[in-house]
Amino acid sequence: MKPGTRLKSAVCDTEVMVIRSGDGQIECGGAAMVEAKTGNTGEPSADLAAGTLMGKRYVDAAGAYELLCVKPGKGSLSVDGAVLVTKDAKPLPASD
Amino acid sequence: MTQIMKGIKVVEVAQFVFVPATGAVLAEWGADVIKVEHPVRGDAQRGMRQIAGVTFDPVANPMIQHPNKGKRSIGIDVGKPEGQALIYELCKDADVFLTNYLPAVRQKLKIDLEHIRAANPQIIYARGSGYGNKGEDRDRGGYDATAFYIHSGIAHALTPEEYDVPLTMGVGGMGDSQAGMHLAGGIAGALFHRERTGETSEVDVSLLSTAMWMAGMVIAPYLHTGKQMRVGIPQAGGSAWNPFMGHFPTSDGRAISLFIMVPDHYIKDTFIHLGLPEAAEDPRFASGAKLTENSALVSKMISEAFAAKPFDYWREHLKTMKGQWAAVNSFLDLGDDQQAIANDAFYKVDPIDGSPPLRVVRGPVQFNSEAFHAPRAPEAFEHTEQILLEHGLDWERIERLKTAGAIA
Repeated sequence: MKPGTRLKSAVCDTEVMVIRSGDGQIECGGAAMVEAKTGNTGEPSADLAAGTLMGKRYVDAAGAYELLCVKPGKGSLSVDGAVLVTKDAKPLPASD
Repeated sequence: MTQIMKGIKVVEVAQFVFVPATGAVLAEWGADVIKVEHPVRGDAQRGMRQIAGVTFDPVANPMIQHPNKGKRSIGIDVGKPEGQALIYELCKDADVFLTNYLPAVRQKLKIDLEHIRAANPQIIYARGSGYGNKGEDRDRGGYDATAFYIHSGIAHALTPEEYDVPLTMGVGGMGDSQAGMHLAGGIAGALFHRERTGETSEVDVSLLSTAMWMAGMVIAPYLHTGKQMRVGIPQAGGSAWNPFMGHFPTSDGRAISLFIMVPDHYIKDTFIHLGLPEAAEDPRFASGAKLTENSALVSKMISEAFAAKPFDYWREHLKTMKGQWAAVNSFLDLGDDQQAIANDAFYKVDPIDGSPPLRVVRGPVQFNSEAFHAPRAPEAFEHTEQILLEHGLDWERIERLKTAGAIA
Protein backbone atom coordinates (compact mmCIF):
# COMPACT_ATOMS: atom_id res chain seq x y z
CA MET A 1 0.00 0.00 0.00
CA LYS A 2 1.49 3.30 -1.06
CA PRO A 3 2.02 5.92 1.65
CA GLY A 4 -0.55 8.66 1.32
CA THR A 5 -3.28 6.21 0.26
CA ARG A 6 -6.65 6.90 1.84
CA LEU A 7 -8.47 3.83 3.08
CA LYS A 8 -12.06 3.59 4.22
CA SER A 9 -13.65 1.19 6.64
CA ALA A 10 -16.17 -1.18 5.11
CA VAL A 11 -18.15 -1.32 8.35
CA CYS A 12 -18.00 2.17 9.93
CA ASP A 13 -17.09 5.81 9.21
CA THR A 14 -13.38 5.40 9.86
CA GLU A 15 -10.96 6.71 7.25
CA VAL A 16 -7.19 6.56 7.50
CA MET A 17 -4.19 7.79 5.61
CA VAL A 18 -1.59 5.11 5.17
CA ILE A 19 1.74 6.43 6.41
CA ARG A 20 3.62 3.10 6.46
CA SER A 21 2.59 -0.34 5.46
CA GLY A 22 3.75 -3.83 4.58
CA ASP A 23 2.00 -6.50 2.55
CA GLY A 24 -0.57 -7.49 5.17
CA GLN A 25 -4.28 -6.77 5.05
CA ILE A 26 -5.34 -3.55 6.74
CA GLU A 27 -8.68 -3.94 8.47
CA CYS A 28 -11.19 -1.92 10.44
CA GLY A 29 -13.80 -3.55 12.62
CA GLY A 30 -12.48 -6.88 11.37
CA ALA A 31 -13.19 -6.16 7.69
CA ALA A 32 -10.60 -5.27 5.03
CA MET A 33 -10.39 -1.51 4.40
CA VAL A 34 -11.06 -0.28 0.89
CA GLU A 35 -10.07 2.68 -1.27
CA ALA A 36 -13.57 3.26 -2.62
CA LYS A 37 -16.83 2.36 -1.01
CA THR A 38 -20.48 2.96 -1.58
CA GLY A 39 -21.77 2.11 1.87
CA ASN A 40 -21.12 0.00 4.92
CA THR A 41 -21.32 -3.73 4.33
CA GLY A 42 -21.98 -4.60 7.96
CA GLU A 43 -21.09 -3.72 11.53
CA PRO A 44 -17.68 -3.86 13.22
CA SER A 45 -17.25 -7.23 14.92
CA ALA A 46 -17.87 -6.97 18.64
CA ASP A 47 -14.25 -7.49 19.69
CA LEU A 48 -13.01 -4.91 17.17
CA ALA A 49 -15.34 -2.04 18.03
CA ALA A 50 -13.29 0.16 20.38
CA GLY A 51 -13.40 2.98 17.82
CA THR A 52 -10.85 5.23 16.15
CA LEU A 53 -9.88 8.76 17.18
CA MET A 54 -9.39 11.68 14.81
CA GLY A 55 -5.76 12.72 14.46
CA LYS A 56 -4.37 9.65 16.21
CA ARG A 57 -1.75 7.39 14.67
CA TYR A 58 -2.17 3.64 14.89
CA VAL A 59 0.84 1.37 14.79
CA ASP A 60 1.75 -2.30 15.12
CA ALA A 61 4.30 -3.68 17.55
CA ALA A 62 6.98 -4.14 14.89
CA GLY A 63 6.65 -0.59 13.56
CA ALA A 64 5.87 -1.84 10.05
CA TYR A 65 2.46 -0.16 9.90
CA GLU A 66 1.33 3.35 10.70
CA LEU A 67 -2.13 4.67 9.90
CA LEU A 68 -3.27 8.24 10.59
CA CYS A 69 -6.96 8.51 11.41
CA VAL A 70 -8.49 11.30 9.31
CA LYS A 71 -12.09 10.42 10.10
CA PRO A 72 -13.19 8.60 13.25
CA GLY A 73 -15.53 5.64 13.44
CA LYS A 74 -16.66 2.75 15.62
CA GLY A 75 -14.32 0.01 14.43
CA SER A 76 -10.82 -0.85 15.66
CA LEU A 77 -7.90 -0.97 13.26
CA SER A 78 -5.94 -4.17 12.74
CA VAL A 79 -3.53 -5.82 10.32
CA ASP A 80 -4.09 -9.49 9.55
CA GLY A 81 -6.13 -9.71 12.74
CA ALA A 82 -3.52 -8.08 15.03
CA VAL A 83 -5.00 -4.97 16.64
CA LEU A 84 -3.08 -1.72 16.14
CA VAL A 85 -2.46 0.62 19.07
CA THR A 86 -2.27 4.40 19.22
CA LYS A 87 1.13 5.99 19.01
CA ASP A 88 1.04 8.56 21.79
CA ALA A 89 3.43 11.22 22.95
CA LYS A 90 5.21 10.08 26.09
CA PRO A 91 5.79 13.24 28.09
CA LEU A 92 7.34 13.12 31.52
CA PRO A 93 4.71 13.43 34.23
CA ALA A 94 4.26 16.94 35.59
CA SER A 95 1.82 18.74 37.82
CA ASP A 96 0.79 22.29 38.53
CA MET B 1 -14.71 37.05 11.25
CA THR B 2 -11.86 39.55 11.40
CA GLN B 3 -8.59 37.63 11.28
CA ILE B 4 -5.82 40.18 11.64
CA MET B 5 -3.12 37.48 11.32
CA LYS B 6 -4.58 35.68 8.32
CA GLY B 7 -1.77 34.73 5.95
CA ILE B 8 0.88 34.93 8.66
CA LYS B 9 2.89 31.77 9.16
CA VAL B 10 4.41 31.00 12.53
CA VAL B 11 6.86 28.22 13.41
CA GLU B 12 6.81 27.44 17.11
CA VAL B 13 9.52 25.47 18.89
CA ALA B 14 8.35 25.84 22.46
CA GLN B 15 6.93 23.94 25.40
CA PHE B 16 4.66 24.35 28.40
CA VAL B 17 2.47 27.49 28.49
CA PHE B 18 4.20 30.85 28.08
CA VAL B 19 5.38 30.85 24.48
CA PRO B 20 2.85 28.26 23.26
CA ALA B 21 0.18 30.67 24.56
CA THR B 22 1.61 33.28 22.19
CA GLY B 23 1.12 30.82 19.34
CA ALA B 24 -2.44 30.16 20.52
CA VAL B 25 -3.26 33.88 20.51
CA LEU B 26 -1.81 34.28 17.02
CA ALA B 27 -3.79 31.23 15.89
CA GLU B 28 -7.00 32.69 17.30
CA TRP B 29 -6.20 35.83 15.33
CA GLY B 30 -5.96 33.75 12.17
CA ALA B 31 -2.29 32.81 11.79
CA ASP B 32 -1.15 29.40 10.55
CA VAL B 33 0.82 28.19 13.56
CA ILE B 34 2.98 25.11 13.14
CA LYS B 35 3.84 23.61 16.50
CA VAL B 36 7.02 21.56 16.45
CA GLU B 37 7.01 18.75 19.01
CA HIS B 38 9.61 16.19 20.02
CA PRO B 39 8.78 12.97 18.11
CA VAL B 40 8.64 10.80 21.23
CA ARG B 41 7.77 13.03 24.16
CA GLY B 42 5.76 15.76 22.49
CA ASP B 43 5.32 19.10 24.24
CA ALA B 44 6.04 18.64 27.97
CA GLN B 45 2.67 20.30 28.59
CA ARG B 46 1.07 17.05 27.41
CA GLY B 47 2.34 15.56 30.67
CA MET B 48 0.34 18.13 32.66
CA ARG B 49 -2.78 16.13 33.27
CA GLN B 50 -3.54 16.66 36.93
CA ILE B 51 -5.20 19.55 38.66
CA ALA B 52 -7.37 19.82 41.79
CA GLY B 53 -7.08 16.10 42.41
CA VAL B 54 -8.43 15.22 38.96
CA THR B 55 -6.41 13.32 36.36
CA PHE B 56 -7.43 13.86 32.76
CA ASP B 57 -7.37 11.37 29.96
CA PRO B 58 -4.71 12.60 27.50
CA VAL B 59 -7.22 12.76 24.63
CA ALA B 60 -9.63 15.06 26.46
CA ASN B 61 -7.20 17.14 28.47
CA PRO B 62 -8.26 20.78 28.90
CA MET B 63 -4.75 21.65 30.06
CA ILE B 64 -3.28 21.18 26.60
CA GLN B 65 -6.02 23.29 24.97
CA HIS B 66 -5.46 26.76 26.43
CA PRO B 67 -1.91 27.19 25.11
CA ASN B 68 -2.39 25.25 21.86
CA LYS B 69 -5.78 25.94 20.33
CA GLY B 70 -5.90 26.32 16.59
CA LYS B 71 -2.42 25.00 15.80
CA ARG B 72 -1.13 22.18 13.67
CA SER B 73 1.42 19.80 15.18
CA ILE B 74 4.45 18.30 13.51
CA GLY B 75 6.81 15.83 15.16
CA ILE B 76 10.44 16.77 14.45
CA ASP B 77 13.59 15.79 16.35
CA VAL B 78 15.42 19.11 16.31
CA GLY B 79 18.43 17.35 17.82
CA LYS B 80 19.12 15.62 14.50
CA PRO B 81 20.63 17.37 11.45
CA GLU B 82 17.73 16.11 9.29
CA GLY B 83 15.32 17.64 11.79
CA GLN B 84 17.18 20.94 11.77
CA ALA B 85 17.07 21.00 7.97
CA LEU B 86 13.30 20.60 8.19
CA ILE B 87 13.02 23.48 10.62
CA TYR B 88 14.89 25.67 8.15
CA GLU B 89 12.59 24.56 5.35
CA LEU B 90 9.53 25.42 7.42
CA CYS B 91 11.07 28.80 8.25
CA LYS B 92 11.94 29.76 4.69
CA ASP B 93 8.58 31.38 4.02
CA ALA B 94 7.50 31.84 7.64
CA ASP B 95 6.91 35.26 9.17
CA VAL B 96 7.63 34.44 12.78
CA PHE B 97 9.84 31.99 14.66
CA LEU B 98 8.71 31.47 18.20
CA THR B 99 10.76 29.79 20.94
CA ASN B 100 11.21 29.51 24.69
CA TYR B 101 14.25 27.23 24.56
CA LEU B 102 17.21 28.41 26.60
CA PRO B 103 20.19 30.01 24.78
CA ALA B 104 22.48 27.00 25.18
CA VAL B 105 19.80 24.66 23.85
CA ARG B 106 19.08 26.95 20.91
CA GLN B 107 22.78 26.86 20.08
CA LYS B 108 22.99 23.10 20.42
CA LEU B 109 19.88 22.57 18.31
CA LYS B 110 21.03 25.22 15.80
CA ILE B 111 17.81 27.16 16.05
CA ASP B 112 19.31 30.33 17.46
CA LEU B 113 18.90 33.69 15.75
CA GLU B 114 21.75 33.22 13.28
CA HIS B 115 20.59 29.77 12.19
CA ILE B 116 16.98 30.76 11.61
CA ARG B 117 17.91 34.07 9.96
CA ALA B 118 20.27 32.16 7.63
CA ALA B 119 17.19 30.27 6.41
CA ASN B 120 15.08 33.42 6.24
CA PRO B 121 16.70 36.84 6.76
CA GLN B 122 13.31 38.53 7.10
CA ILE B 123 11.83 36.32 9.78
CA ILE B 124 10.78 37.86 13.07
CA TYR B 125 12.59 35.97 15.83
CA ALA B 126 10.56 35.94 19.03
CA ARG B 127 11.94 34.67 22.32
CA GLY B 128 10.19 34.09 25.59
CA SER B 129 12.41 33.60 28.63
CA GLY B 130 12.31 33.46 32.39
CA TYR B 131 14.58 36.37 33.16
CA GLY B 132 15.26 38.18 29.88
CA ASN B 133 17.76 37.90 27.06
CA LYS B 134 20.53 39.82 28.83
CA GLY B 135 22.43 39.35 32.07
CA GLU B 136 23.67 36.17 33.67
CA ASP B 137 20.20 34.78 34.33
CA ARG B 138 19.44 34.63 30.61
CA ASP B 139 20.79 31.06 30.81
CA ARG B 140 18.55 30.12 33.72
CA GLY B 141 15.29 28.31 33.21
CA GLY B 142 12.18 29.48 34.95
CA TYR B 143 8.48 28.94 35.41
CA ASP B 144 5.97 31.64 36.18
CA ALA B 145 5.97 30.34 39.75
CA THR B 146 9.63 31.40 40.01
CA ALA B 147 10.61 34.20 37.62
CA PHE B 148 7.19 35.84 37.38
CA TYR B 149 5.83 35.31 40.85
CA ILE B 150 8.74 35.07 43.26
CA HIS B 151 11.73 36.87 41.74
CA SER B 152 9.56 39.83 40.74
CA GLY B 153 8.41 40.58 44.27
CA ILE B 154 4.78 39.84 43.38
CA ALA B 155 4.56 36.96 45.87
CA HIS B 156 6.07 39.08 48.62
CA ALA B 157 3.70 41.94 47.88
CA LEU B 158 0.60 39.71 47.93
CA THR B 159 1.57 37.92 51.14
CA PRO B 160 0.35 39.27 54.48
CA GLU B 161 3.31 40.61 56.39
CA GLU B 162 2.51 38.29 59.28
CA TYR B 163 3.81 35.35 57.19
CA ASP B 164 7.49 34.50 56.80
CA VAL B 165 7.04 32.69 53.48
CA PRO B 166 4.98 33.74 50.48
CA LEU B 167 1.49 32.65 49.52
CA THR B 168 1.46 29.85 46.96
CA MET B 169 0.75 31.03 43.43
CA GLY B 170 -2.80 29.74 43.39
CA VAL B 171 -3.42 30.34 39.70
CA GLY B 172 -1.27 28.02 37.60
CA GLY B 173 -0.08 29.61 34.38
CA MET B 174 -1.10 33.13 35.35
CA GLY B 175 2.27 34.60 34.48
CA ASP B 176 2.68 32.42 31.42
CA SER B 177 -0.62 33.42 29.85
CA GLN B 178 0.01 37.11 30.41
CA ALA B 179 3.57 36.96 29.14
CA GLY B 180 2.29 35.00 26.14
CA MET B 181 -0.17 37.76 25.36
CA HIS B 182 2.57 40.41 25.66
CA LEU B 183 4.76 38.47 23.26
CA ALA B 184 1.87 38.20 20.79
CA GLY B 185 1.43 41.98 21.04
CA GLY B 186 5.14 42.51 20.44
CA ILE B 187 5.03 40.26 17.40
CA ALA B 188 2.03 42.16 16.02
CA GLY B 189 4.08 45.36 16.37
CA ALA B 190 7.12 43.75 14.73
CA LEU B 191 4.98 42.59 11.79
CA PHE B 192 3.59 46.11 11.42
CA HIS B 193 7.09 47.58 11.52
CA ARG B 194 8.38 45.08 8.95
CA GLU B 195 5.42 45.85 6.70
CA ARG B 196 6.12 49.59 6.84
CA THR B 197 9.90 49.64 6.71
CA GLY B 198 11.02 46.24 5.47
CA GLU B 199 13.07 45.82 8.64
CA THR B 200 12.65 42.72 10.68
CA SER B 201 13.29 42.52 14.41
CA GLU B 202 13.89 40.26 17.37
CA VAL B 203 11.21 40.33 20.03
CA ASP B 204 11.80 39.47 23.68
CA VAL B 205 9.43 39.12 26.58
CA SER B 206 10.34 37.52 29.89
CA LEU B 207 8.25 36.27 32.77
CA LEU B 208 10.13 38.68 35.00
CA SER B 209 9.51 41.71 32.75
CA THR B 210 5.83 40.78 32.52
CA ALA B 211 5.45 40.71 36.31
CA MET B 212 7.35 43.97 36.75
CA TRP B 213 5.19 45.67 34.16
CA MET B 214 2.10 44.33 35.91
CA ALA B 215 3.35 45.90 39.15
CA GLY B 216 4.84 49.01 37.54
CA MET B 217 2.16 51.30 38.95
CA VAL B 218 3.42 50.65 42.48
CA ILE B 219 7.06 49.74 41.90
CA ALA B 220 7.79 53.31 40.72
CA PRO B 221 6.53 55.07 43.88
CA TYR B 222 8.01 52.41 46.16
CA LEU B 223 11.44 52.79 44.61
CA HIS B 224 11.12 56.56 44.67
CA THR B 225 10.34 56.68 48.37
CA GLY B 226 12.16 53.56 49.51
CA LYS B 227 8.98 52.50 51.29
CA GLN B 228 6.71 49.61 50.38
CA MET B 229 3.22 48.97 51.66
CA ARG B 230 2.56 45.47 52.97
CA VAL B 231 -0.83 43.85 53.21
CA GLY B 232 -2.08 42.28 56.41
CA ILE B 233 -4.14 39.17 57.04
CA PRO B 234 -7.53 39.65 55.36
CA GLN B 235 -10.19 41.12 57.63
CA ALA B 236 -13.92 41.34 57.10
CA GLY B 237 -15.47 44.81 57.20
CA GLY B 238 -14.75 48.30 55.93
CA SER B 239 -11.36 49.94 56.12
CA ALA B 240 -10.61 52.47 58.85
CA TRP B 241 -9.83 55.11 56.24
CA ASN B 242 -12.84 54.47 54.03
CA PRO B 243 -15.56 52.12 55.26
CA PHE B 244 -16.97 51.97 51.71
CA MET B 245 -13.96 49.81 50.90
CA GLY B 246 -13.76 46.30 52.23
CA HIS B 247 -15.00 42.73 52.06
CA PHE B 248 -18.34 41.92 53.69
CA PRO B 249 -19.57 38.38 54.46
CA THR B 250 -23.12 37.57 53.41
CA SER B 251 -25.61 35.47 55.39
CA ASP B 252 -24.62 32.31 53.50
CA GLY B 253 -20.89 32.56 54.09
CA ARG B 254 -19.87 34.19 50.87
CA ALA B 255 -18.71 37.77 50.42
CA ILE B 256 -19.25 41.01 48.54
CA SER B 257 -16.47 43.54 48.06
CA LEU B 258 -17.00 47.28 48.00
CA PHE B 259 -14.35 49.47 46.45
CA ILE B 260 -15.88 52.92 46.42
CA MET B 261 -12.57 54.73 46.44
CA VAL B 262 -14.00 58.26 46.06
CA PRO B 263 -17.19 57.92 48.12
CA ASP B 264 -18.57 61.47 48.26
CA HIS B 265 -20.96 61.24 45.31
CA TYR B 266 -22.08 57.73 46.16
CA ILE B 267 -22.94 58.01 49.86
CA LYS B 268 -26.73 58.26 49.64
CA ASP B 269 -27.06 55.72 46.83
CA THR B 270 -24.84 53.25 48.63
CA PHE B 271 -26.67 53.43 51.95
CA ILE B 272 -30.05 53.13 50.18
CA HIS B 273 -28.89 50.03 48.30
CA LEU B 274 -27.59 48.52 51.52
CA GLY B 275 -31.03 48.97 53.09
CA LEU B 276 -29.87 51.79 55.39
CA PRO B 277 -32.06 54.75 54.26
CA GLU B 278 -31.74 56.57 57.59
CA ALA B 279 -27.94 56.53 57.24
CA ALA B 280 -28.32 58.12 53.83
CA GLU B 281 -29.73 61.24 55.50
CA ASP B 282 -27.49 61.16 58.58
CA PRO B 283 -25.24 64.26 58.74
CA ARG B 284 -22.53 62.18 60.49
CA PHE B 285 -21.97 60.34 57.20
CA ALA B 286 -22.51 63.20 54.75
CA SER B 287 -19.02 63.32 53.18
CA GLY B 288 -15.99 61.17 52.59
CA ALA B 289 -14.17 62.90 55.43
CA LYS B 290 -17.08 62.24 57.80
CA LEU B 291 -17.16 58.58 56.78
CA THR B 292 -13.52 58.39 57.83
CA GLU B 293 -14.31 60.03 61.18
CA ASN B 294 -17.05 57.48 61.83
CA SER B 295 -15.57 54.54 59.99
CA ALA B 296 -15.94 51.98 62.79
CA LEU B 297 -19.65 52.68 63.11
CA VAL B 298 -20.24 52.71 59.34
CA SER B 299 -18.27 49.49 58.89
CA LYS B 300 -20.40 47.84 61.58
CA MET B 301 -23.65 49.00 59.94
CA ILE B 302 -22.60 47.83 56.49
CA SER B 303 -21.34 44.52 57.84
CA GLU B 304 -24.66 43.86 59.58
CA ALA B 305 -26.59 44.79 56.45
CA PHE B 306 -24.62 42.36 54.27
CA ALA B 307 -24.78 39.62 56.90
CA ALA B 308 -28.60 39.77 56.89
CA LYS B 309 -29.05 38.54 53.33
CA PRO B 310 -27.51 35.90 51.05
CA PHE B 311 -24.93 36.31 48.32
CA ASP B 312 -27.39 35.85 45.44
CA TYR B 313 -29.64 38.57 46.83
CA TRP B 314 -26.78 41.07 46.91
CA ARG B 315 -25.46 40.07 43.54
CA GLU B 316 -28.83 40.88 42.00
CA HIS B 317 -29.75 43.82 44.19
CA LEU B 318 -26.51 45.77 43.79
CA LYS B 319 -26.76 45.77 39.99
CA THR B 320 -28.33 49.24 40.13
CA MET B 321 -25.90 50.63 42.71
CA LYS B 322 -23.71 53.40 41.33
CA GLY B 323 -20.66 52.82 43.54
CA GLN B 324 -18.09 50.20 42.64
CA TRP B 325 -18.48 46.67 43.94
CA ALA B 326 -17.92 43.09 42.96
CA ALA B 327 -19.16 39.71 44.05
CA VAL B 328 -16.35 37.49 45.33
CA ASN B 329 -16.53 34.83 42.62
CA SER B 330 -14.71 31.57 42.26
CA PHE B 331 -13.52 30.37 38.86
CA LEU B 332 -16.38 27.89 39.00
CA ASP B 333 -18.81 30.82 39.34
CA LEU B 334 -17.34 32.30 36.17
CA GLY B 335 -18.65 29.35 34.20
CA ASP B 336 -22.16 30.75 34.67
CA ASP B 337 -21.21 34.41 34.87
CA GLN B 338 -23.65 36.27 32.66
CA GLN B 339 -21.31 39.20 32.13
CA ALA B 340 -18.42 36.98 31.09
CA ILE B 341 -20.72 35.02 28.80
CA ALA B 342 -22.23 38.20 27.30
CA ASN B 343 -18.71 39.17 26.30
CA ASP B 344 -17.96 35.83 24.67
CA ALA B 345 -15.45 34.85 27.33
CA PHE B 346 -15.59 31.16 26.45
CA TYR B 347 -15.77 28.91 23.49
CA LYS B 348 -16.01 25.20 23.10
CA VAL B 349 -13.59 22.77 21.60
CA ASP B 350 -14.49 19.18 20.84
CA PRO B 351 -12.27 16.42 22.21
CA ILE B 352 -11.41 13.78 19.62
CA ASP B 353 -13.06 10.99 21.59
CA GLY B 354 -16.54 12.46 21.33
CA SER B 355 -16.66 13.27 25.04
CA PRO B 356 -18.42 16.50 26.08
CA PRO B 357 -16.96 19.74 24.70
CA LEU B 358 -14.33 21.54 26.76
CA ARG B 359 -14.92 25.20 27.52
CA VAL B 360 -11.82 27.31 27.07
CA VAL B 361 -11.21 31.00 27.70
CA ARG B 362 -11.11 33.12 24.58
CA GLY B 363 -8.19 35.51 24.10
CA PRO B 364 -8.83 38.87 25.76
CA VAL B 365 -8.62 41.10 22.67
CA GLN B 366 -11.68 41.60 20.47
CA PHE B 367 -11.74 43.03 16.98
CA ASN B 368 -15.05 44.58 15.88
CA SER B 369 -16.69 43.00 18.93
CA GLU B 370 -16.51 39.67 17.17
CA ALA B 371 -16.15 36.37 18.97
CA PHE B 372 -13.36 34.64 17.13
CA HIS B 373 -12.49 31.08 17.87
CA ALA B 374 -10.02 28.42 16.92
CA PRO B 375 -10.42 24.66 16.67
CA ARG B 376 -9.11 22.25 19.31
CA ALA B 377 -5.43 21.84 20.04
CA PRO B 378 -3.81 19.27 17.75
CA GLU B 379 -2.92 15.78 18.80
CA ALA B 380 0.85 15.36 18.99
CA PHE B 381 2.25 15.03 15.43
CA GLU B 382 -1.24 15.08 13.93
CA HIS B 383 -0.23 17.08 10.88
CA THR B 384 3.34 15.93 10.17
CA GLU B 385 2.76 14.54 6.68
CA GLN B 386 0.23 17.20 5.71
CA ILE B 387 2.69 19.96 6.54
CA LEU B 388 5.67 18.23 4.91
CA LEU B 389 3.70 17.55 1.71
CA GLU B 390 2.67 21.22 1.63
CA HIS B 391 6.37 22.09 1.83
CA GLY B 392 7.13 20.00 -1.23
CA LEU B 393 8.51 16.86 0.40
CA ASP B 394 7.59 13.58 -1.27
CA TRP B 395 6.58 10.36 0.44
CA GLU B 396 9.99 8.85 -0.23
CA ARG B 397 11.75 11.55 1.76
CA ILE B 398 9.08 11.43 4.45
CA GLU B 399 9.72 7.69 4.80
CA ARG B 400 13.48 8.24 5.02
CA LEU B 401 13.02 10.89 7.72
CA LYS B 402 10.69 8.59 9.60
CA THR B 403 13.15 5.70 9.43
CA ALA B 404 15.89 8.00 10.70
CA GLY B 405 13.68 8.97 13.65
CA ALA B 406 13.81 12.61 12.58
CA ILE B 407 10.05 12.93 12.36
CA ALA B 408 6.98 11.32 13.87
